[in-house]
Amino acid sequence: MASASRPAAADNASTVPAIAVDGLHKRYGAIEVLKGIDFRAHEGEVISILGASGSGKSTFLRCLNLLELPSAGRLQIFGEQVDLRQSGDALHIGNRRQVDRLRTQVAMVFQNFCLWSHMTVLENLMEAPIHVQRRGRGEVREEAEAMLRRVGLIDRAKAYPAQLSGGQQQRAAIARALVMKPRGLLFDEPTSALDPELVGEVLKVMRDLAAEGRTMLIVTHEMAFARDVSSRIVFLEQGRIKAEGLPLDLFRGGVNERFDQFISRFNQA
Amino acid sequence: MLDWPFLTDVLGQLLSGLPLTLQLAALSLSIGFALAVFVAGAAGSAFAPLRWAAKAHVELFRGTPLLLQIFLIYYGLGQIAPLRHSALWPFLREPYWCAILALALNTSAYTAEIIRGAIQAVPAHEIEAGRACGMSGLLLRRRIIWPIALRQGLAVYGSEAILMIKATSLASIITLTELTGIAHKLISSTYRIFEIFIVTGAIYLALTFLMSAAFALLERQLQAHHAHRRA
Amino acid sequence: MTSGMFELLGFGPQGWGLPLLKAAGVTIAAALCGFLLGSIFGIGGATLKLARPRALRLIGQAYTTVFRGVPEILVVYLFYFGGSVILTTLMNTGGFPGFYSLPSFVIGVLAIGIVSGAYQTEAYRSAYLRLDRGQIEAGTACGMSKLLLLRRIVAPQTLRFALPALGNIWQSALKETSLLSVIGLTELLRQAGTAAGSTRQPLLFYAIAAAVFLVIGRATGAGLNRMESHLAKPWRR
Repeated sequence: MASASRPAAADNASTVPAIAVDGLHKRYGAIEVLKGIDFRAHEGEVISILGASGSGKSTFLRCLNLLELPSAGRLQIFGEQVDLRQSGDALHIGNRRQVDRLRTQVAMVFQNFCLWSHMTVLENLMEAPIHVQRRGRGEVREEAEAMLRRVGLIDRAKAYPAQLSGGQQQRAAIARALVMKPRGLLFDEPTSALDPELVGEVLKVMRDLAAEGRTMLIVTHEMAFARDVSSRIVFLEQGRIKAEGLPLDLFRGGVNERFDQFISRFNQA
Repeated sequence: MLDWPFLTDVLGQLLSGLPLTLQLAALSLSIGFALAVFVAGAAGSAFAPLRWAAKAHVELFRGTPLLLQIFLIYYGLGQIAPLRHSALWPFLREPYWCAILALALNTSAYTAEIIRGAIQAVPAHEIEAGRACGMSGLLLRRRIIWPIALRQGLAVYGSEAILMIKATSLASIITLTELTGIAHKLISSTYRIFEIFIVTGAIYLALTFLMSAAFALLERQLQAHHAHRRA
Repeated sequence: MTSGMFELLGFGPQGWGLPLLKAAGVTIAAALCGFLLGSIFGIGGATLKLARPRALRLIGQAYTTVFRGVPEILVVYLFYFGGSVILTTLMNTGGFPGFYSLPSFVIGVLAIGIVSGAYQTEAYRSAYLRLDRGQIEAGTACGMSKLLLLRRIVAPQTLRFALPALGNIWQSALKETSLLSVIGLTELLRQAGTAAGSTRQPLLFYAIAAAVFLVIGRATGAGLNRMESHLAKPWRR
């Protein structure tokens, strides 16, 4: 398994992986979407997960914070074994509290932003820290405002999501994830629902986060971003990891035939 | 456990009230619809007092309970001396015609709103298309606006018709022996409320079911006609 | 008629003002209690209709079909006669002979509640179905428990989506209270009837009752509209 490539990240990388997955399977009825995935992410790594649609990359990401329940396999988050119990043909959650706690440690950013539409931007940011993490309102408010300042939305704190552009909504959603002080961030196609002219502002925020040495897993179709920002690329095809490595190696070509085909098809499109 | 002979006896007696229930519903719905067309027309009139009258009519009959409207007509009209001496009095002192009048006025207010809403919902561009073909006035209404509005308003009018079937039950309170009137008599004399409620309720449910099925059928036919025209 | 009118409607010993005012209070109280009871039935009914087990869905379906399809006055009779049949049977078997019945206000609230609940079931159900699944998932992804999600995300949004329909259902509940005059509750219509009978002025007193219904309906409707537009603010661009 490749370790983190950038020096800054390598320093932080502990021996315990941030996320460890063994033999992950996911079935919907007769269809098997994930066919046995083994995967390690170390602290400080920025990993882009690439693949054609239907390759299982989103499902894989969603399994990591158990929005999808794996059908089989083992999952470790920051050294903690997730309590998944076998019942018949499927796994189910053994300890809800553990899952709820771990979910605040690996925060998720969605394709459709999914901000809560009845709350202002600031209320969106403060919701989980206050009600899930039970932190103090004053401290959370300061933290939330700091995050809004960071993503350039402090002047929109009192606005409702419907009053924001897509790019602004996604930046707010990223800030919402950050206020929980997660140890890792999961991005599920964060720019796919955006108008092309709004993609840049979101990618910039993500670039800054990556530069801070945050642990990030990103499902994306932004190839330039994946190549320039990630420390590692994971390429999924038909529910399996088909290629994995440093972006420079993979994007140069000739390392993995399937990946090269994927990239060339992508460039044609 | 169920007393079948009693239930069939109850059913038989109740069914004798069915024709009256259907009559009340049919008459008040048709009179009410005719009235509603006038009210909706008045509501869209350029003459302000006519508009106000229409608005007051709708407001009054939608904003007050139907039972109050029935009492107002049944007990109140007799107080107006000229009316008592008019040729209408033989009708207006009959609970039957009072019930029909109240039901018709009530449904006319709701129906007028349904008509207004349906006509407003006709897409502006379809009207423009009609104008572009040189249509105007009655021709435009008859060929473009009304057919489209009918399609839009039919489903809502269907539920209004169902509400009216239920509403006829209030005629029992001014002595008419339609379904609910008979049910009330049976309950008071036998106190077997649960059996009688089940049988009476089942008859009303059957009526509302038939009514909604009829409207669904009508709607399908209109849609088919429409689809055919589009094709 | 006009000379005695002020006396008839005044608050003096000969006047019907006070009884009518009290009766209006009873009307509002019965409508409010019935509507609130209906909210409980409505939330319960919507939960049943949205439940996974088929049996529960069928129960919810049966509830709304029956109580929306049967005339309200029959439901009033059901609780009036049914209530006294059950209560009398219970008391008699418990060793208290005689005939018993529930207070007409209680019967009225139950009847309005169950009918209103059937309509509210549909309001809550369709509002719930309009929720954005992504926002619920975002809550789950933030570690919210089912209960917290319900309290902070699902319930507030469902209520907002249901509010316009609930406003109409409230107006129906208000008007339905008039049916309770039939079982002896001295609400507005019955009080107006009593006054009409003893003064031989039915036109006047029924017209007043109508005016009071209009005023109550208008006032509460305006309040609900304001609440609605306030709560809809987040969805406006």
